[in-house]
Amino acid sequence: MTSQNIESFVNQRYQHGFVTDIATESLPPGLDEGVVRAISARKDEPEFMLEWRLQAYRQWLDMKEPKWPHLHYKPVKFDEISYYAAPKSDADRPKSLDEVDPKLLETYEKLGIPLHERAKLAGVAVDAVFDSVSVATTFKEKLFEVGVIFCSFSEAVREHPELIRKYLGSVVPRRDNFYAALNSAVFSDGSFVYIPKGVRCPMELSTYFRINAANTGQFERTLIIADEGSHVSYLEGCTAPMRDENQLHAAVVELIALKDAEIKYSTVQNWYPGDENGVGGIFNFVTKRGDCRGDNSKISWTQVETGSAITWKYPSCLLRGDNSVGAFYSVAVVNNMQQADTGTKMIHIGKNTRSTIVSKGISAGRAQNTYRGLVKVMPQAHGARNHTQCDSLLIGKQCGAHTFPYMEIKNSSAKIEHEATTSKISADQLFYCRQRGLSEEDAVNMIVNGFCREVFKELPMEFAVEAQALLNVSLEGAIG
Amino acid sequence: MKRPSLSMAGLRDAVRSMPDDSLTAIREAALANLDEHGLPTVRDEDWKYTDLSPAIDISNRWFAAGATSTSTDSLAASIEALTSSIDANWLVIANGIIDTSHYEETAGVDIGRFSDNAAPFVLDRPLADLNAALLHDGLRIRIHAATDKPIGILVVDETCEAAVVTQVSIEIEIAPGCDAQIIEYHSSTGNNDHYSNSVVALQISKAATANYVRIQNRRIGHVQTGRISITMDTDSKLAMASFDLGGGLIRNDVDIDLSHPGADANFNGLYLAGDGQHIDNHTRVDHRVGPATSSQEYRGILNGRSRCVWNGKAIVHAGADGSDAKQANHNLLLSDKAEIDAKPELEIYADEVKCSHGTTIGQLDDAALFYLRSRGLDRQQATHILTRAFAADLVSRTPIPQALETITALVDARLAELIQDGMS
Repeated sequence: MTSQNIESFVNQRYQHGFVTDIATESLPPGLDEGVVRAISARKDEPEFMLEWRLQAYRQWLDMKEPKWPHLHYKPVKFDEISYYAAPKSDADRPKSLDEVDPKLLETYEKLGIPLHERAKLAGVAVDAVFDSVSVATTFKEKLFEVGVIFCSFSEAVREHPELIRKYLGSVVPRRDNFYAALNSAVFSDGSFVYIPKGVRCPMELSTYFRINAANTGQFERTLIIADEGSHVSYLEGCTAPMRDENQLHAAVVELIALKDAEIKYSTVQNWYPGDENGVGGIFNFVTKRGDCRGDNSKISWTQVETGSAITWKYPSCLLRGDNSVGAFYSVAVVNNMQQADTGTKMIHIGKNTRSTIVSKGISAGRAQNTYRGLVKVMPQAHGARNHTQCDSLLIGKQCGAHTFPYMEIKNSSAKIEHEATTSKISADQLFYCRQRGLSEEDAVNMIVNGFCREVFKELPMEFAVEAQALLNVSLEGAIG
Repeated sequence: MKRPSLSMAGLRDAVRSMPDDSLTAIREAALANLDEHGLPTVRDEDWKYTDLSPAIDISNRWFAAGATSTSTDSLAASIEALTSSIDANWLVIANGIIDTSHYEETAGVDIGRFSDNAAPFVLDRPLADLNAALLHDGLRIRIHAATDKPIGILVVDETCEAAVVTQVSIEIEIAPGCDAQIIEYHSSTGNNDHYSNSVVALQISKAATANYVRIQNRRIGHVQTGRISITMDTDSKLAMASFDLGGGLIRNDVDIDLSHPGADANFNGLYLAGDGQHIDNHTRVDHRVGPATSSQEYRGILNGRSRCVWNGKAIVHAGADGSDAKQANHNLLLSDKAEIDAKPELEIYADEVKCSHGTTIGQLDDAALFYLRSRGLDRQQATHILTRAFAADLVSRTPIPQALETITALVDARLAELIQDGMS
């Protein structure tokens, strides 16, 4: 591959950069108690929910934006963001896909996720979030048969307030951090999943997010509860249209696994990363945390992060139950001016808890990629075991790869291993592949995919294919 | 719990009660810096795991008592014993006062004091400011030819009834092409509260080699903060071994600046901690140009209610292609009350690099213990053998042969104590 080809490849425009022209009913920019009340009122929420939001808002006012991440960006102007946007068609919600605004469907087509086909062929139920309100949920009935609740968060607040009251904020408290508090005050919508005792969810659950209206922060709230002995695999994926101003995204995801339950949460994040000069792009400040509350429970996070101008995200596991297991598999790719500070926290509290961390960071262009992780073993956590592997691949002279792992071990029976390496694609590796007839592009592809293999094999089929394609688009030509 | 803050009024009085000499202007500058920035707290990322409150508390009590220095007369026996334990040419800093009476003039080594020529110091950190503000005098060593015996620097403090604070500052320059051997040995007598703060600047010139051994065997009442800043010129070499055996609260900072190609820095450390000890090792290597290599291995054995911190940082700056940085940290936790906080950091801004780190935290292998016990050793003996083997790997890498025997004996004795305390 000549260097010009490489240039043109690296400089490919963001393919999902288009704006669907649907009138949105947004609140005016700015945030005060009135806005919080208005959001709650529009969603027809019960009193307890409004009170919860207001408390979060008041706590948020006292909090400061974190400065510790290895990130550089202009401060977010919170009073210039509109905190609510809903597609017009919200008033008369469609009962089936046929009733959905064709423009919306067209949007999904362009993204390569035709709902009909996807739902039927892949056997996936899709709760699609378009801006801030869920518009279509498929396979609901099939799930209903086994007692699985899979709905929009707003619906759950109305239909299942007892579950919301019990679990909301029990993993990520309102004042956990600055962005979690903001989310708690103004969260727009998201997904709610409840898997009853002993049920193995018959299909993989999936949500596609799209940030669409300009100037609208999107604040999803996801809550997944796996009751005793249940199992669920959840997929989250995102793309966003091209835009010039930075957009703030501050989601909160809470997972709760009770005794013997297992939650597998997979993410492909492909939001608009900004252009080659770092203009535009999504600010992705996400709090994700899973609570292995019961004995023998298991939570695994798998993420492929290729998008966003700035990513600040640490999907974590609280290993409270005895013999509980936490896992974190991550591929984070940054190119051009992207910055990512991402990693995980594994807090070992119960006995014989185990955790695995595999993090693969790839940096190209002038991008900065940081792994930040904590492994903490509490004094009572006898027999804790952790293995961490974090590798970085550098492509180009101007990018950076950083690792900040923290290990805080307070129990002598813990076995903790941490390994990290940083390297570039070597000329030898490339030569070897080229010699066997591969083009430089294919060779790089193969090497990068090999580098990420440990993580990709953890992804569900549908995502694995998409993830590899994404990597190719994001990186492939970046070597020169 | 409210943490004490350094009494600036007390510090000012202490500084102003010192004799007016060629260092006065530097002391005042340092005082002004400290007044502006203060000392680091646990809210500073580099001090997340180490609270300086005990050092501040001792300092404030010392200020309140008039900030007087202690006589060194009663240290004579200790100095004699310590200097004869390793065959070296000893410079002594006793209770913060430089004493060259044990040193034999040697061709190839120039010894001076800061007060001879008060060159401005680099005041870039609060603890360096505290050091400069309260420094009686600093030691300047220039080595321009290899010597038969290593140069030894013995820092010894005696604690009396009241809390005492001492400062040590040393500048060492190794001339181009020269091969030098330096031993820095910290010890103390008495069990009362004492805080010592040392600043060492080591400059290794072109194609020079520094073999450096640092032994810290303070008493449990002792708080120590120490920084060694090392700059390395083209094709220079560093072989350093550091042993932390005693002390109550110990914080060591090793900063290595690699701004010239061909430098090779190899430094290792062993820390043994028992009840009431807190030992924090922070290392930072700045790879500013390549090719250059750095490699470090720290090992720790923790027993009783102790806490150790290891934070290794390797920064490969933009353009430093050909950098090779390795970090390793291995810890044995022998007690449930012990805590280890390890943080191996890599910051890399260049792509033609090889960087790696590995950290392990674990305990003695049950199978190995069983094997030894099945051959008739009791648990304590078996533990001693296995921990000794774990430590021996680092001890054997001591770059100064004259120091090896003493270090082996000190490590063995400390391990035996640690294990006995842990078993009883």
